[in-house]
Amino acid sequence: MEQTEQTTKDQIYIIDDAKWDELIEITHGAAAVCYQCGVCTATCPWGIVKDETVSVRKFMRQAQLGIDNGSEQLWLCTTCAQCDASCPRGVVISDVFRGLRQVAWDHGKPEEGLPSVLWSVFWNQNPWSQAPSQRFAWAKDLDLPSFDPENHEILFYVGCTASFDKRAQKVSRSLVQILNAAGISFGVLGDDEPCCGESVLNVGHKPYFLEIVDETMKVFQERGVTKFLTVSPHCYDVFKNHYPQMDGFEPVHYTQYLAVLIDEGRLKFEKKLKHKVTFQDPCYLARHNNESQAPRKVLGAIPGITLEEMENNASDTLCCGGGGGRMFLETAAGERFSDLRVDDALYTKADILVTACPACISCLEDSVKSKKLKDFAVMDVAELGAQALRAK
Amino acid sequence: MANLHMVVCLKVVPKPEEIRVDKKTNRLERTDARSELNPPDMNAMEMALSIKERYGGKISILTMGPPYFEPLLRVGLAMGADHIYLLSDRDFGGADTLATTYTLAKGVEKIEGVDLIFCGEESSDGATGQVPPGLAEWLDFNQITMINNIELAPRKKTIRGRREIKAGHEILEVPLPAVVSVAVASNEPRFMDYRIKDWAFEEERMTVWSKDDLDVDAEYIGVSGSPTIVSDLAQAATRERKREFLTGTPEEIADKLKVILQDAL
Amino acid sequence: MVASLYGVKQAKKAIWIFLEQEGGKLEGVSLELLDKGRQMADNANWSLVGLLIGKDVSEIADEAFSYGADVVVLADDPLLDVFTVDAYTQVTYDAIMEHKPSVFLLGATPNGRDLAGRLAVRVRTGLNADCTNLNLDKKRGILVSEVTGFGGGIAALIEMQNHRPQMATVRPGVFPPGEPDKKRKGKVIKLPIKLEADTIKTKVVERVVGEGVDLTQVPALVVGGRGIEGDFGLMRELAGLIGGDVGATRPPVDDGYIERERQIGQTGVVCRPKVSINCGVSGAFHFVVGVQESDIVISINTDQEAPIFDFTDYCIVGDVFEIIPALTAALSSVKELAHG
Repeated sequence: MEQTEQTTKDQIYIIDDAKWDELIEITHGAAAVCYQCGVCTATCPWGIVKDETVSVRKFMRQAQLGIDNGSEQLWLCTTCAQCDASCPRGVVISDVFRGLRQVAWDHGKPEEGLPSVLWSVFWNQNPWSQAPSQRFAWAKDLDLPSFDPENHEILFYVGCTASFDKRAQKVSRSLVQILNAAGISFGVLGDDEPCCGESVLNVGHKPYFLEIVDETMKVFQERGVTKFLTVSPHCYDVFKNHYPQMDGFEPVHYTQYLAVLIDEGRLKFEKKLKHKVTFQDPCYLARHNNESQAPRKVLGAIPGITLEEMENNASDTLCCGGGGGRMFLETAAGERFSDLRVDDALYTKADILVTACPACISCLEDSVKSKKLKDFAVMDVAELGAQALRAK
Repeated sequence: MANLHMVVCLKVVPKPEEIRVDKKTNRLERTDARSELNPPDMNAMEMALSIKERYGGKISILTMGPPYFEPLLRVGLAMGADHIYLLSDRDFGGADTLATTYTLAKGVEKIEGVDLIFCGEESSDGATGQVPPGLAEWLDFNQITMINNIELAPRKKTIRGRREIKAGHEILEVPLPAVVSVAVASNEPRFMDYRIKDWAFEEERMTVWSKDDLDVDAEYIGVSGSPTIVSDLAQAATRERKREFLTGTPEEIADKLKVILQDAL
Repeated sequence: MVASLYGVKQAKKAIWIFLEQEGGKLEGVSLELLDKGRQMADNANWSLVGLLIGKDVSEIADEAFSYGADVVVLADDPLLDVFTVDAYTQVTYDAIMEHKPSVFLLGATPNGRDLAGRLAVRVRTGLNADCTNLNLDKKRGILVSEVTGFGGGIAALIEMQNHRPQMATVRPGVFPPGEPDKKRKGKVIKLPIKLEADTIKTKVVERVVGEGVDLTQVPALVVGGRGIEGDFGLMRELAGLIGGDVGATRPPVDDGYIERERQIGQTGVVCRPKVSINCGVSGAFHFVVGVQESDIVISINTDQEAPIFDFTDYCIVGDVFEIIPALTAALSSVKELAHG
């Protein structure tokens, strides 16, 4: 094995050909066109909260050279794609980060806490260490029909967080109310519902993720699933951008689905609410999937709601801090993006911070609580929508 | 100690929340339950792997159980173990601690040259939690149980294990060969290494030994080797939380809580 | 069928208790077993014998008598100063083989389990471990032990018909300790010790009790959330009374009221205590993951709608600052009674 040593003032990097090959392969050479301008580092939101920001540029250089310096900063990336959006060379930097993480997994250096997440997906089919037999416990009283492609327009894919997290379950229930009100025939997979593997992919374990894809596709094919809606933008993103796009395979985020129903006149919100709201665009909708209109369309269809935009909105949104596996890792007080986001929301004088993602809700609500805010709530688009349905 | 030979005892257990009692037969109904590796056994595996990383040697997985355990045992290979020995025979069935530890000990003897055996501190499926000392006794090995950390002195051939006791700890030292049991949640088990996954799940051949392959006394295995019998079985209250609201004045509530605490602790 | 070294016919109608001691005092579980053993012995008209092992421990025998023992078999030797499984197993084996009790009970403590596990194999008998209840069927002379498995989901009754001694370990706290009767007297039988120093392979390198924290192993956990406004003194007092320790959710840790190593949850410590008492905890999902393995969950919160109540066995809608002092007072009065 050929090795070259490159000495800098304070660090010695070993350039290892084998590792270089491995990285190029894993990242499909994505870093190759980077010309080290550093815009990525400048736009990375860690710069707002940390004295010493994450040098994204340096990681890109390492990826080009095949260097793995085992930096813990690798695990800070929330895969928010702010850097992707601003890269003048069009490098998908979040892909490179996933690749660097995969190398770390292969060389036995993942961040503490993350192996347990993978084991939970392996044993429990969810990343939250919850009993798989309890996956549909949230819907016990709702009597939701098992999905049948002959009779149902669409599958409601709930996803792990919206199935197990008590807070997110409220979003799932609200969505059921809305779908019922619009007269949509839909079904669910119940305890058979597989994990999409989003957390596995974004903490960088691509080989395991690909296995999950195979298993999930098997279930989908057996059950005749083609068109389905997801609660979480994270699930939506992996299905749309990281699963094989077979004929008829059509994941939609629920806000997109509701927007179409509104256009078609099938869904009407008839009860007037009185709220000034602002909207947190989830990274996995607005940036990864260029979707910022659908949630606004749904909000706009609710009578009595006025939307006041925050400074960074749509594709310029600021991450809540929960992506890229960060939901499973501790972020120090004072370094949470969601704190900043709640401040942004307060500045708009809105009384509700609306979002459309279980991870955003969890992070933002934590920040609202820690600021001991009264008369200010975090809600999901679906929850607000359900409130605006005509009382039966 | 490049020739250090470690054995990790793995047990396949049904997921606790999916077990039911069959009212008619009074037996545990576990056929529909999903299985997993006994969680503290995963911690035992991780501890053995950390020793292998530092000092070399090899790790054999040892299990008593039916052939359908195979895919789950291969998880241990993908974590970094070297070989699987499965002790499998209809006549091993129905074993309690005495018969189980006897059979496992016979397996260890047949493997030969074993220096250090790792077990989980207990199994989640209601086995007696006494396998590690029993196994050590049959083999005349030393033992340190319920440890959360281990150190090996390779030349002296001793180990030191640290265990938590009574809001404190103790460090015990014994010479090899020895059995250790590892406390649940004492480390974070590494995930499978996908670079060796094909080898672990497809290529590596597993060694299966029946009672005829082992030098066992038929009286000592399975049901006939088990002094204890289960005379009755009952499903305890489900794991679902009661959600019972206690009401009254603070003093009345305190009295209710006192009773609950005294029963529980 | 495998036979134990002595059988039903040779066994004496006696219940033996392993008396675990440290620093000249019997462990709580040994007192609990003496009381339970006394009840079973009285009911069946058997004798109750304590096995006391250590160095200069003969004075503890009186404590055993006051809690119900008729006889104390005493193994006193410098080599038995600290517990080593090698020495204690050998001495216990000698005692058991000489006196042949029908029943032998030990506390399911780390040392009790070590000894029980080795001894059962050495005498070729059965062992019912971690029992949650015991009964002596006096007609048949058979010990019926209740054990639980699968996270407490299944309870089984276990017995052995042909093997002696009938061994069982019992978790500390399963039985209440009895009331000592200082006037009760009994007989001490000294056991001849045949131990060589070089047969003891175990070396106790270090032993410290009553020091720091390991929340993963505590039997009871008192957790403070945002709602306790940083008043962990109150939490500590309660934890002290129930032999537990204090944990916290993220907000009080963030606010610097308590050290980060006590944070419970997905990004902190995952605990499996017998009881967790959540005070002013709202029930954020990432926290709940850290206490969901508790046998019993008690929660106190002013908000009836707090999600924590979905994960709780005993829910209290109320003010932590009223409930906890009341509970502390109730528990302290019990303690005074027991020791007064």
